[in-house]
Amino acid sequence: MSFSDKIYKWLDDRFKLRELLPSIVKHPAPENVISNPLYCLGGTAFLCFIILVITGIFLAMYYKPTPAEAYNSVQAIMTTVPMGSLVRSVHHWAANTMIAAVMLHMIRIYFMGAYKKPRELNWVVGIFLLLTVTTFGFSGYLLPWDQLSFWATKIGTGIAGSLPIIGGYISLILMGGTDIGAETLTRFFAIHVLILPMAIAVLLGIHFLMVRIQGISGRL
Amino acid sequence: MTLIEVEKHEVEEEPKPEVLRVRGLPFFPHFLLREVVVMCLIAGSLILLASNYPASLLKPADPFDTPTPIYPEWYFLYVFGFLKFWTWNIGPIEAKIIGVTVPMILWYGLLILVPFIDRNPSSDIRKRKLAVALGIIALIGVLFFTYYGIVHGE
Ligand code: HEM
Repeated sequence: MSFSDKIYKWLDDRFKLRELLPSIVKHPAPENVISNPLYCLGGTAFLCFIILVITGIFLAMYYKPTPAEAYNSVQAIMTTVPMGSLVRSVHHWAANTMIAAVMLHMIRIYFMGAYKKPRELNWVVGIFLLLTVTTFGFSGYLLPWDQLSFWATKIGTGIAGSLPIIGGYISLILMGGTDIGAETLTRFFAIHVLILPMAIAVLLGIHFLMVRIQGISGRL
Repeated sequence: MTLIEVEKHEVEEEPKPEVLRVRGLPFFPHFLLREVVVMCLIAGSLILLASNYPASLLKPADPFDTPTPIYPEWYFLYVFGFLKFWTWNIGPIEAKIIGVTVPMILWYGLLILVPFIDRNPSSDIRKRKLAVALGIIALIGVLFFTYYGIVHGE
């Protein structure tokens, strides 16, 4: 009996661990899933998400969402805050990796036909996750308030604003006015750190619950 | 005293876990160890990328100074590229309206409906020739418009 088995046995004798552990722990991981790295993509996206939450919390401690202070606060993060540059850069890379992983995950689901009955609704939830993740990127992009932020947001709100019927409302809601300014920045900040995290938590909860109930589709 | 005896009894009579015959790795420690190693590799790569290619910070935003060229984020480039690509009015509908509606509304609408459009129950790639062909065309399309967006940045 190995050392870890002994610890487990000791705890199990006292707390009946076996009954508490979720069922996946007791079953071996199916071979067709673990031998194919394509199945890692969803998990990779989720790991990136966790990293984004942690680094994002630290960034929020120093970031100031007003046009007068935003740029300077990000500059301070990059130059004077201890580890600030690393934390912001990891946030940046984890965001881009997450979006890439989500897209590749979706491509796997498509070509393996994993969206077919009974998983149709999980695909639909997935599309909303894709929308949420790209909106995360879009709203975060404005926050440093540098030239790239400003003009990329100008293009983005311009494109969304020229949609027929809903365009005008979307750009008014996003910008809080007719041009990108202080209102836009605080809105994007609220969307980025309050609205979208809640939305993605709910969507991921449903997504994972459905995977748990339905299992991973097997390729026969 | 009796209470203790009852408890002992319970512990001894614990049911043996049923034997499951599934080909695969046992969850603990093999599978978990593998997961942890993969997670460390991903986290490590992110830290490596971050320290070698730090996030940029350009000059402060200036509404009166339009830089050239300007691009949206890479994952919106295909929308941007399609808008630049499509310059034809269709009847009373302006080219610009088509240019934004197709890659946003129509494309996402189509994506959401995928499981309801594809009624073929097979998930064997050899029996899904049409779906696979359409998927490849869509991928090439997105890549093409992304490329078009890069080349035609304003
Ligand atoms: C935040 C983004 C997302 C995360 C973190 C995520 C995570 C996961 C995870 C961990 C799994 C288990 C299997 C695997 O990893 O391949 C899974 C399965 C699945 N995902 Fe996602 N996902 C995301 C977005 C999406 C998107 C955009 C789609 C499609 C439009 C999608 C559709 C599905 C479907 C249909 C399954 C079941 C697949 C099967 O049973 O083989 N997900 N997801």
